[in-house]
Amino acid sequence: MGVVEDTEPPLKRAKRLADEPNGFSANSSVRGSSVNSNSLGDLMARPLPSQGDDETIGSKGVIRKSEFVRIITRALYSLGYDKTGAMLEEESGISLHNSTIKLFLQQVKDGKWDQSVKTLHRIGFPDEKAVKAASFLLLEQKFLEFLKVEKIADALRTLRNEMAPLRINTKRVHELASSLISPSSFISHTTSTPGKESVNSRSKVLEELQTLLPASVIIPEKRLECLVENSLHIQRDSCVFHNTLDSDLSLYSDHQCGKHQIPSQTAQILESHTDEVWFLQFSHNGKYLASSSKDQTAIIWEISADGHISLKHTLVGHHKPVIAILWSPDDRQVLTCGAEEVIRRWDVDSGDCVHMYEKGGISPISCGWYPDGQGIIAGMTDRSICMWDLDGREKECWKGQRTQKVSDIAMTDDGKWLVSVCKDSVISLFDREATVERLIEEEDMITSFSLSNDNKYILVNLLNQEIRLWNIEGDPKIVSRYKGHKRSRFIIRSCFGGYKQAFIASGSEDSQVYIWHRSTGKLIVELPGHAGAVNCVSWSPTNLHMLASASDDGTIRIWGLDRINQQNQKKKLVQGSSSNGVIHRCNGN
Amino acid sequence: MGRIFTVELEGRSYRCRFCRTHLALPDDLVSRSFHCRRGKAYLFNRSVNISMGPLEERLMLSGMHTVADIFCCCCGQNVGWKYESAHEKAQKYKEGKFVLERGRIVDEIDLSTEVYIDTHGSTSDTEDS
Repeated sequence: MGVVEDTEPPLKRAKRLADEPNGFSANSSVRGSSVNSNSLGDLMARPLPSQGDDETIGSKGVIRKSEFVRIITRALYSLGYDKTGAMLEEESGISLHNSTIKLFLQQVKDGKWDQSVKTLHRIGFPDEKAVKAASFLLLEQKFLEFLKVEKIADALRTLRNEMAPLRINTKRVHELASSLISPSSFISHTTSTPGKESVNSRSKVLEELQTLLPASVIIPEKRLECLVENSLHIQRDSCVFHNTLDSDLSLYSDHQCGKHQIPSQTAQILESHTDEVWFLQFSHNGKYLASSSKDQTAIIWEISADGHISLKHTLVGHHKPVIAILWSPDDRQVLTCGAEEVIRRWDVDSGDCVHMYEKGGISPISCGWYPDGQGIIAGMTDRSICMWDLDGREKECWKGQRTQKVSDIAMTDDGKWLVSVCKDSVISLFDREATVERLIEEEDMITSFSLSNDNKYILVNLLNQEIRLWNIEGDPKIVSRYKGHKRSRFIIRSCFGGYKQAFIASGSEDSQVYIWHRSTGKLIVELPGHAGAVNCVSWSPTNLHMLASASDDGTIRIWGLDRINQQNQKKKLVQGSSSNGVIHRCNGN
Repeated sequence: MGRIFTVELEGRSYRCRFCRTHLALPDDLVSRSFHCRRGKAYLFNRSVNISMGPLEERLMLSGMHTVADIFCCCCGQNVGWKYESAHEKAQKYKEGKFVLERGRIVDEIDLSTEVYIDTHGSTSDTEDS
């Protein structure tokens, strides 16, 4: 150990008790010691990895009672219920920490570094490395506090005679040694709040000690909290129908969404289009729905607070069927694409056409927005890709080596990737910064695609009646497949939706809407109701329980929750809660 | 009717006689020696822009086959059939191949790479219903 100081440094702070919620007051400590000596009078063995009895609770017999009581005790102290914590220790006869650990923690809190190092060795941990690391941590704090009050000689003695001989963390020792040259700047870097500095740094030391020393000896502060939180997350993640906010999670009963959380009932039918509805999309803020039709018009619908949808504007001007309508990033404008005609940009508030985009002799067959809303991209009939600014000035035009018209096109939100169908069965992901290209090569022709909100996934619709999910972070990888819907002649579109986009929805030529669970690929529901093929679906980004579908029957259906089943489900949940209560008592949980 | 999905074939191609939709490539032509009730027919490895009818057993000059009629996906005309399976070993080479009736297709060179021609490829305007 080298030369050890004979006298305690005369620090006033060392005498002051910290008043943290999880602190151990003198009374509590004394009482704890008393209880501890009583309950463990017969067991004075120094290594105490766990309490004596191995009694278990719970129906599966895997929960040790002593462990359970100790993490509850720890939670009580963490919540500031010191009296209750102490009383639980007394009543159960199970101490949170034994007397030596308790003394050790108190010494750390009081800043009695020399004594805490001695106590640490007296505890007798078998892991020598951990003991050394903990000793180093304590001595480092001692060094820093000397430096704080500019006791350079004492700091140097600590570094040379106590820390260096440990022969660990030599880099840090060198850093601390060099700090002696200019101690004030070093201190200003390491600490910034002079008032509570020592209290905060000692709390930090305690936290680091908890990671170094065995958890069974020093119970981690938030252990019970962590276990409960993990349980909730597991329940949510395993919930196939999960389509609700986390605020609905509760400790009172296990979480389980039923099918009633998936939109499955027709809530409204919109009948203002006079021909097949080919495309529709909710605005990013969920306040509007835009639809486009073979009747050569597009419509902006407004969604009220209670979910009712009404017509806001009919956008008239195209002379061909309108094959797509796309929201600008700020939802103030929309682009419409007339089939091999022109692209128009409209103001959502007024319903006026503010600009038209065309190029002599060739026509667009797909279009999209720049992610900053300041430009337009289009796939043209001559197989090129054109880019305009909002005023219609051509920015770029790519000819490329395409063998097909660019039937679908989009740009990621960061503006980096241009995504387009570039061959029968190939999607190109073109990096506009690095000018490199990644390819998604499918087994069959691609009829359409859509990007997830986080731009990490792409949903690809194939000619062979399959939808595939690709992860496009890094090299593209197929993640999941979705089957069951019908597609033989038409372009059928699908989309992400629901809570964290955990569901995939698609139209179908059999007049139904299909919904799958995204990660498992399991078909959840098929929604009948339309009288013609469903060409496109869109899931509200803000209302998890609202889905819209566009059909050849000339209508748009708004799908919402099944209210009748929802009421039954609520009753069931209430009963379930009571049952859980009964089970709780029987199991003694 | 929905928005019909079609693809274009580059260069010379066989098209639907009625609406000029691209149906097959000369490279995929296997034989010109087939016959149907209405006359000559061609056998192709592949065909595009078609939809298939139900499978049915059909007795042909070469024996019993399981086939499905194929229709132009734009105008709906019956343009031929697809061999799904053949019962006789000597006819197995036909499986998965398409027959297009000579009287229902035209042979044309696509000029779209140089001069734009509106082929109605992406809409169903020409549909009656």
